[in-house]
Amino acid sequence: MPKYLCMQRNLPGGESRKPSPAEMQEMYSKFRAWQEKFQANLVDMGGKLGAGKLVTESAADGPFVEVKELVGGYMILSAQSLDEAITVARAFPGLVHPGSGVEVIEIRTA
Amino acid sequence: MSTPQLVEHFFRHEYGRLVATLCRRVGAQHIEVVEDAVQSALMAALESWTVSGAPDNPSAWLFRVAHNDVVGHLRQRTRRRRLLEQYTKEAIDTGEKGSELFLAQEVQDDLLRMLFVCCDEGIPEPSQLVLALKTLCGFDIREIALRLFISEANVYKRLARARSQLRKFPPRTDGPSEAQITSRLPAVRKILYLLFTEGYLSSHAETAIRRELCSEAIRLTSILAEHPLGQTPETFALLALMHLHAARMPARQDGAGGLVLLEEQNRDLWDREEIQVGLALLARSAHGDVFSRYHAEAGIAAEHCLAPSLQETRWDKVVEFYSLLERSAPSPMHKLNRAVAVAEWKGPAAGLEVLDGFEPPTWLVRSYIWSAVLADLHRRCGNAELANRYRKLACKAAPTSAVKQLLQHRLQINKQTIPRYG
Repeated sequence: MPKYLCMQRNLPGGESRKPSPAEMQEMYSKFRAWQEKFQANLVDMGGKLGAGKLVTESAADGPFVEVKELVGGYMILSAQSLDEAITVARAFPGLVHPGSGVEVIEIRTA
Repeated sequence: MSTPQLVEHFFRHEYGRLVATLCRRVGAQHIEVVEDAVQSALMAALESWTVSGAPDNPSAWLFRVAHNDVVGHLRQRTRRRRLLEQYTKEAIDTGEKGSELFLAQEVQDDLLRMLFVCCDEGIPEPSQLVLALKTLCGFDIREIALRLFISEANVYKRLARARSQLRKFPPRTDGPSEAQITSRLPAVRKILYLLFTEGYLSSHAETAIRRELCSEAIRLTSILAEHPLGQTPETFALLALMHLHAARMPARQDGAGGLVLLEEQNRDLWDREEIQVGLALLARSAHGDVFSRYHAEAGIAAEHCLAPSLQETRWDKVVEFYSLLERSAPSPMHKLNRAVAVAEWKGPAAGLEVLDGFEPPTWLVRSYIWSAVLADLHRRCGNAELANRYRKLACKAAPTSAVKQLLQHRLQINKQTIPRYG
């Protein structure tokens, strides 16, 4: 089955308010339900991105654009089609806050 | 891989527990650092546990993360070597003690200690309430505003006042002393009472939100009632009244969220278990020579819970308790309530007699409650004109549409009056 790289992006003008403990619990439950529902599609839950460097032949430098500012985290899904991957990603509970999006990209191995 | 289920209110209650425990360790004057660290730790937990699963002991995990964060912040902040060493040493101690920290009793002690910190004499009452909701119950500013029907700016202001008082705390106190605890007990009970009534009497449309405040009040009062220093008859009476009121909550609202009159409530919906718990506590409260307002209010609630129907309520007892309540906590509201009870006992004319010569304060005259009671009593006495006048005033002053509907239903001028009192 084809695999898809999903990157969570923080869109400009997104909500910056911190969630309350009660809201965190709700997010946790939603996440749990989502995980259960799409268990078959979840190849690698990935994680948040931290600090990094741009490595070239000559040196390790940068990154010139702070990657973690653009991409919150990543994960890898498997799906029959891009449409199916989009369906899974759209239900992702990480999208509950406005100003957050997921970029779904096919990983071509053949 | 699956993410394990967490108990209800886990995040909110962990917030309260962690703030209480960390404030005890580093001092309540650092409450802001503590709260930020706890918030970050919960956020880190949410991110990490959803990806790699929750650890075996989630509470210990959270404590470790939040504690390290607090120590890190204080280390950055403080320039005083000696204090620095003390914190650092403690950080190491904590690592060794591990799960010992999470003995149930110690957690209860920390929560109770924090409750007494919230009720510091230097903090005004409205700020005490907000501080308790924020630190012990784990509600954020928006959620508190929603629950107390005040603006977020107001919550923020109240919180700022409380925090500025906490900042004046001497460094590293072990919290209130035994003598302070005893002298602060009435203030603590008052805050718990307010917390409960905010939920119980609230006209908030969502039952769940109201119930939440009531169960938080019961949770904290139970901790107080289990502690040797808090185990006084008044505390038991307070907890009794909470359980007895909570018992009737399921019947207080109709399916559409409207309020249901006591006489029309389905008494089968009352929670028998809660009533039993309440009555047992009431029995425990009957010691010593103090008869507090909580005793009187619990007594009234018990009479209602024990009555098989509105008609069979022992109104003479209810009236007696209202008289006692007026004595221990004088308030025009209690007089008004006594008039209502007297009307049930001896008829509407006797009820009106209680209010003869009574000059209610302006806030009461303007409230819908005053007009509604007068409209009802006059209607039942057959004074149609007066009844109509008060009915209009009451409907005009009704704060929410649920209350307005209730009033229109109750005060219908042509409503058949059943002669219930012989």
